[in-house]
Amino acid sequence: MIKSQYKSIGKNIQRRDVSGKIKGDSQFCADIELKDSISLKVLRSGRHHAVIENIDVAEAMKIPGVLKVFTARDIPGENLMGIINRDQPLLAHGKVRSKADPVALVAALTDDIALKALKAVDVTYTDLVPLLDIEDALAENAPKIHEKGNTLFTRRIIKGDAKTAFEDCHSIVEKQYKTLAIEHNYIEPDAGAGFVDEDGTLVIYASTQNPHYDHQEVVNMLGVEESRVRIIQAVTGGGFGSKLDLNVQGFIGLALYHLKRPVRYIYTREESYLATAKRHPFIIDMKTGTDKNGKLIAIKMRACCNTGAYGSYGIAVATRAAVHGTGPYQIEHVDLECSCVYTNLTFCGAMRGFGTPQAAFAHESQIDIHAQKLGIDPLEIRIINGLKKGSINGTGQKLTDSVGFHDCLKSVKPYYEKASKDWVKQKTSPFIKRGIGLGGMWYGIGNTGVQNPSTARIEIDLKGRVTLFTGCADIGQGSTTILSQIAAEVLGILPEQVRMVVGDTKLTANAGATSASRQTYISGNAVKDAAEKLASVLLTAGVNKLKVSKSMLEFKDHCIRVSGNPNKSVDFAWLAQRIHAKGGSLSWQGYFDPETIPFDPETGQGTPYSTYAFACQLAFVEADVLTGEVNVKKIVAAHDVGKAVHPENVIGQICGGIAMGVGFALMEEFEFGKTESMKDYHIPTCADMPEVIPIIVESDEPTGPFGAKGVGEPALIPTAPAILNALNNALGKRIYNLPANLERVLKASIESGHFSPK
Amino acid sequence: MAEIEYVRPVNLKDALNFLWNHGEDTKIIAGGTDVMIDVRSGALDKKYLLDISRMDELKGIELNDQGLCVGAGVTLSEIYSSDLLESNALALKKTAYNFAGKQIRNMATIGGNVANSSPCGDTLPALSVHRAKALVADKKSTRLVPVEEMATHAYISSLSPKQIIIKFILTPYQDGFADFQKIGRRRELAVSRISMAVFAKKDKEGRIAFLKFALGACTPVPHNMELMEKFLTGKTPTRELIWEAGGLLAQKMIEITGRRSSTIYKEPAIQGLFMRMLYPVVK
Repeated sequence: MIKSQYKSIGKNIQRRDVSGKIKGDSQFCADIELKDSISLKVLRSGRHHAVIENIDVAEAMKIPGVLKVFTARDIPGENLMGIINRDQPLLAHGKVRSKADPVALVAALTDDIALKALKAVDVTYTDLVPLLDIEDALAENAPKIHEKGNTLFTRRIIKGDAKTAFEDCHSIVEKQYKTLAIEHNYIEPDAGAGFVDEDGTLVIYASTQNPHYDHQEVVNMLGVEESRVRIIQAVTGGGFGSKLDLNVQGFIGLALYHLKRPVRYIYTREESYLATAKRHPFIIDMKTGTDKNGKLIAIKMRACCNTGAYGSYGIAVATRAAVHGTGPYQIEHVDLECSCVYTNLTFCGAMRGFGTPQAAFAHESQIDIHAQKLGIDPLEIRIINGLKKGSINGTGQKLTDSVGFHDCLKSVKPYYEKASKDWVKQKTSPFIKRGIGLGGMWYGIGNTGVQNPSTARIEIDLKGRVTLFTGCADIGQGSTTILSQIAAEVLGILPEQVRMVVGDTKLTANAGATSASRQTYISGNAVKDAAEKLASVLLTAGVNKLKVSKSMLEFKDHCIRVSGNPNKSVDFAWLAQRIHAKGGSLSWQGYFDPETIPFDPETGQGTPYSTYAFACQLAFVEADVLTGEVNVKKIVAAHDVGKAVHPENVIGQICGGIAMGVGFALMEEFEFGKTESMKDYHIPTCADMPEVIPIIVESDEPTGPFGAKGVGEPALIPTAPAILNALNNALGKRIYNLPANLERVLKASIESGHFSPK
Repeated sequence: MAEIEYVRPVNLKDALNFLWNHGEDTKIIAGGTDVMIDVRSGALDKKYLLDISRMDELKGIELNDQGLCVGAGVTLSEIYSSDLLESNALALKKTAYNFAGKQIRNMATIGGNVANSSPCGDTLPALSVHRAKALVADKKSTRLVPVEEMATHAYISSLSPKQIIIKFILTPYQDGFADFQKIGRRRELAVSRISMAVFAKKDKEGRIAFLKFALGACTPVPHNMELMEKFLTGKTPTRELIWEAGGLLAQKMIEITGRRSSTIYKEPAIQGLFMRMLYPVVK
């Protein structure tokens, strides 16, 4: 084994957050109790689509203990939110577009009084025609949910001539796939708290994936100076995309602005379910064609996702679904289209994978159907088509480095071959059918075809202590630990010696969203840039002291020394004092923005991402042919992450992603208007978890920090396709709608003739 | 939420006295795994919450002259680990294996599960198989009620507000085939979509000499499916016979409930689950 050249990178150091979480010391938003804090509650419309004729708050205001009932007119700044397209008011103005739309905000001394006041607010509506699905919304004469119409956005990716190419294809498969809305179901409820500090700053504790974005929105909403608002990210118990949108930050900001008293707001699980973003339901029509050897020649996709009442991240979801529609395969002729449509449901937004898990369900089913038709092994057909170094993807981008898909396939191969030979054939009960299935995926790291920089600041004080300031929200995925490892590696110190100041807009530099699997790659690079700038001035000072050239110096144990010579060294404190005395800066800013080329608006050609993660998972599944129950026994998961900065953390992400993927595949179905809470929404418990065999593939990414890419979303994406392909392998019958619940699996069993006493 | 007063009498006598005077305004709470949901949601419209969870009179599992007695306050965790149930009411014990999750089992009681009258109550099929009777008491009297008569409709108990279930008296069955199976939307912590329990014994010739069976979660109130007993007793269990019996069972369910949207799944799944459960007795 080659000894690692790194001291911190690739090491399973103790995560920064474990002690607090194990001991129960961590303060999540709902744990923050501010003295004499008042309660907030939102009145939600309860109607799909209606004009607000009048809001009468007089009766509510008479209730003792009610401090104020806010409506849209109390918002001093711009009453609109949205990270990509601004279409969502904090409090409804003029009309409501979903049952979850906030109409009024009550501030009261207690929760009970606030709830009573909600009932006393009298709103007069005139109902409009509700548009509950894509078809309704696109119908001629459908009322417009937003002024610009009901189609929010369409992304096209066009390369070559798919129409003509299909004429020469040997195998053509054309199918429709459907997926449902999914609730993120992080265990920590949405919550926030806030107070006005002695300088008059509105301080807001938030459970968030993007504190600096929250800051801009609240500033904008209140029409105040940037310095008047400070967002502090509290310990955040999961986000999975939903906490990219504001939950309670705006309400808290509004109350603080007017009332100047400490305030808190904790959503019940029911309110979280009703009012926060969901994963977009998709309808995907996909047509693919291969030659007689199974090589994919052409693809056509027409997909549509339902974004509900507001855009949120819908445009990003539709874009990603289009770009990733080809799967991790080289296809010469590409005609992909994905639209995003408004309806009167609770809005859909970002969720782990942004449309890619839905697209992967389609392309991974397609490629298996081709394999079956052509008599080619499912692994072989992926090898034939898989992207590799030098491949050109659907957007015309040539992949030059770190294309580890084939390495992932290779890693899974021994498990696949062994399972095909014995596991699948072993007899268990006469009513159990076993099957194995593959799921491949690729995933662009960072936002799609747009600038999405991260910044970081690193400082050394006169005692030689290093502090890293980053706005990068650690929501449990471990970025704070990762970034400390990167800074430590550059400066030759231990990661735990890097003091971390994270997610506080008064102190930290904007690192962008914790989303798109971007933080290790993008913020990691920003941190590395800052650390390298600091390292450079330290080295310059070291040269002066040690009288040798920079190339002969190394960082070691909080000192700079002549390589290999512990006696010729100078410590950080001395160096910092020296730099400071000479008027040099002890604070350095780092910056990274991945190189992308925006899409051609007509053809979607461009460079949407500067690097991609790849993966292949193999699912071992048992289906009960008499009841439709499915037991996922094992998942082998090979993930190309570039370089694993913290391998155990990567494994943690893989296991978590698989858990979520099992839910997406088999049981999670969010029904708008019906699903209220965890009592009627099933996410997997540990009893549903398969054995996981994680395999980390490291295909060095030259632009990544120490070669790293990302894994957060890729962990989830191949799981459902692998399980669904395994179910097809077990039953000989394919399911095209997710989830593959009891009803669908039993139906497949009956249709395939397995439902019998034999 | 209205203020609810919490009351915890020290013994059964005091509890029955309290109910005699305040029964109409009182909700009994044992493990709280059902009641607390209503407390939180505000659906519980009572003045008093009467806690009977620590009463010795409702505890214990024993085999005596009356039969196999399981106290109403026995938790599912106690059922999970009872040796006496292992040898005398294995189907009931197996019920506990798949009942919710461990935290719920530690709190939930068998009496509460029956009194809640949910059609999906997991203990009902095994109790029905064992022809269990509930010993029900008020201040003045006690009486024995067959477990199938403990609910009049879904979620409506036949108990009067003055009554408490003291215990269940089961007919013990030994040395046969006993099982409980359920289907949920996940492997743990899921409400049963279908559940069933059975006890069966074969004679020397391999014919079914004795069979008790009950179906859960499919009908508004429990039914002891005597038709299964009639159909199978005296016959040699083959795959085909069990399959046919499962089909009859599904038809019986439809007879009781009519066709609903869930029938598309439940009709074959009842037959399938019956086949799977009874497969070990097939010769």
